[in-house]
Amino acid sequence: MREGFRQAMAWLHTWAGLVFGWLLFAIFLTGTLSYFKDEISHWAQPEIPVRVVDAQASLAQAQTYLEANAGNSPRWFISLPDAREPALSVMWQDPNKRGRGAFTRHTLDPQTGQRVEARDSRGGDFFYRFHYELQMGYPWGRWLSSLAALVMLVTLVTGIITHKKIFKEFFTFRPGKGSRSWLDGHNAIGVLVLPFHLMITYSSLVIFMTMLMPASINSRYDGDTQAFFSEIYPGNQRLAAAGQPAPLVNLAVLYDRALQQWPDGRIGRVSVQLPGDANAQVQFSRHNGDTVSRDPGAAITFAGTTGAVLELPRDSAAPMVVAGTFYGLHMGLFAGPVLRWLYFFCGLGSTLLIGTGLVMWLGKRQLKHARSGVRPFELRLVDVLNVAGMAGLVLAIAGFMWANRLLPATYPERAGLEVDSFFLVWLLSIVHAAVRSGSKAWVEQLSLAAIALAGLPLLSLLTTDHGLPVSIAAGDWVLAGVDFSALGCGLVLAWVVVKIRRRAALAALPAMRAARPVMPNEVH
Amino acid sequence: MLSAGLLSYAGFSALCLAMDRHHQEMLGRRPSPSRKVQLRVAGWALLGLSLWISVISAGWAMGLVRWTAVLMSSAVFLVWLLPYRPRWALVLAAVGVLLGLLAAVARW
Amino acid sequence: MRSRIGEVSTSYRWAVASRVVAAVFGGYVLAALASVCIAWLLPMARGEAVVSAMMLSFLVYLVAVLWCFASHSASRAWVGLAIPGLVLAALAGLLHWQHLP
Repeated sequence: MREGFRQAMAWLHTWAGLVFGWLLFAIFLTGTLSYFKDEISHWAQPEIPVRVVDAQASLAQAQTYLEANAGNSPRWFISLPDAREPALSVMWQDPNKRGRGAFTRHTLDPQTGQRVEARDSRGGDFFYRFHYELQMGYPWGRWLSSLAALVMLVTLVTGIITHKKIFKEFFTFRPGKGSRSWLDGHNAIGVLVLPFHLMITYSSLVIFMTMLMPASINSRYDGDTQAFFSEIYPGNQRLAAAGQPAPLVNLAVLYDRALQQWPDGRIGRVSVQLPGDANAQVQFSRHNGDTVSRDPGAAITFAGTTGAVLELPRDSAAPMVVAGTFYGLHMGLFAGPVLRWLYFFCGLGSTLLIGTGLVMWLGKRQLKHARSGVRPFELRLVDVLNVAGMAGLVLAIAGFMWANRLLPATYPERAGLEVDSFFLVWLLSIVHAAVRSGSKAWVEQLSLAAIALAGLPLLSLLTTDHGLPVSIAAGDWVLAGVDFSALGCGLVLAWVVVKIRRRAALAALPAMRAARPVMPNEVH
Repeated sequence: MLSAGLLSYAGFSALCLAMDRHHQEMLGRRPSPSRKVQLRVAGWALLGLSLWISVISAGWAMGLVRWTAVLMSSAVFLVWLLPYRPRWALVLAAVGVLLGLLAAVARW
Repeated sequence: MRSRIGEVSTSYRWAVASRVVAAVFGGYVLAALASVCIAWLLPMARGEAVVSAMMLSFLVYLVAVLWCFASHSASRAWVGLAIPGLVLAALAGLLHWQHLP
């Protein structure tokens, strides 16, 4: 490759973008939805009552439940309810198992302390986990999504290098001019939302850095990675049981003392090691959404039997604050409603950046074959993957939501079936895209997605007791909001379909083909 | 965030006007060199003002996050509005400066 | 650069594949070696040094990938990774074994 540096970077941008584009589109779209994962989960389990949050009272309920059901477990975790996630979540370790599969998790009603009786669904958590685990076994999904993140970083930087007129064309967007407009749009989203694209991509690597790049840990800690984690995360040391039974102190009482450390803050999580043993320890961690930077040192540890303070919150050193900031910025837990919607639209921006790139890649090359009428296999393949990877994915998301509403609430396997529906619809969209060609496939899949999403409120009304009239009357704006947002997305997709059909109709007029002036009805 | 948003929108509009092509689009003539300098100074000043407002209302951490979010959003909004309704974009910038300063005083 | 997929030569394909392998695997090794050196050389507590090193390593990876495709030939790509790689490996080895009791 003897051309210039810029041309080499343009080549890399084009090909890395293509090969990883579909995967990145899926990661970014599901990741964007994840900013509203709690809201989607609430929509997916409408039976869970919306309660006024009293974290302290729910802590007492959690302790009662755990003492009754997990008395011999060596480790408890209690996630306290907050405004966005009003459920009380408890998790405990099976005393006979180690590692990832050893934990059991129950969701409790914070008021009654009983297990929640609601339709089983993964809700928004499905999209959240999918965007970094890709429904693959541990740890393969994370490695693949991290590789995708590195490629995204490469495409962003090569895009910047390639964009010669980045300052001159900073405000340039010329709609209604065919491929020029697509490039303008791609560049505009790329440049104007660049801080977000770069932050979200780099931070995703930082989040998994101990898995991705452990060499320095191994070198400086002589292979003792546990020592490293103990230094970063307080209370991570494995405790030895004393063997003497001793009652655990009342956690709700310790709650007040813990909150004194952070007067304007909230408690996010309580973890107990060796409950019921003389060596028990209790740790109260500050809510992760209280600060921009995610701070593992913001935790206070008490002795489990006496309530004496064992370890105070520690100030983290600068590098940890930087890493914590990357983590916190990526998750956006600190964001209030306005900022959360901005996060969402930025995420959509990244998704569209990738989507416009994929469409342009194909469009440019299809032009060369337009006259001959024959499309080489490679372009046909890209066309199918574009339709299925983008329209098909949106359709699959709609399918997941429809499955949630259609499957009977009491059916035990329904959580898995909802996920299966997602993948089944996605698979069918690939088949459909392979059979139908070009813009017909786009129009048909997007139309179906538009109808499915716009019809979601009606479906909720028909299949649950929590349709729009009920949720609005009850002031449950989260549930109503998800229904409305689905309707909004459906309408936007319908508009997109109208535009595609209009353009396809114009392109089919042979006289207009050669040098198309901008048509009056194209300038909106 | 509202005041920071209006001011950053106005700031970007000024910087945009400082470019020949966009000045032509919005006002029908090319800007004089001195006008360009004035617009650039005004633009950067407005952006700086929106940063200052963000930081004094929410501290450095949240302030910088909000400012970045507001910066990106206002830029996207301007670039989207510009080709369709250049006059509205201009009017909004002028109104935005006034409203933005007012909102800043009212602490929005 | 030739965009007709069916018309490129086999040697071209091998060259591209070579660059990709260099970028993905060679880049990783270089980034890992750099992270080890950085973790030993930074004047801070070891936990802090390690966290800093890991965060910086991705920049090294990025630059290595860009190099692999910007270099004039695939072999140049490998050489461009190997030379700093050997230097960093020597340095990392030195730093690591120097601190053993």
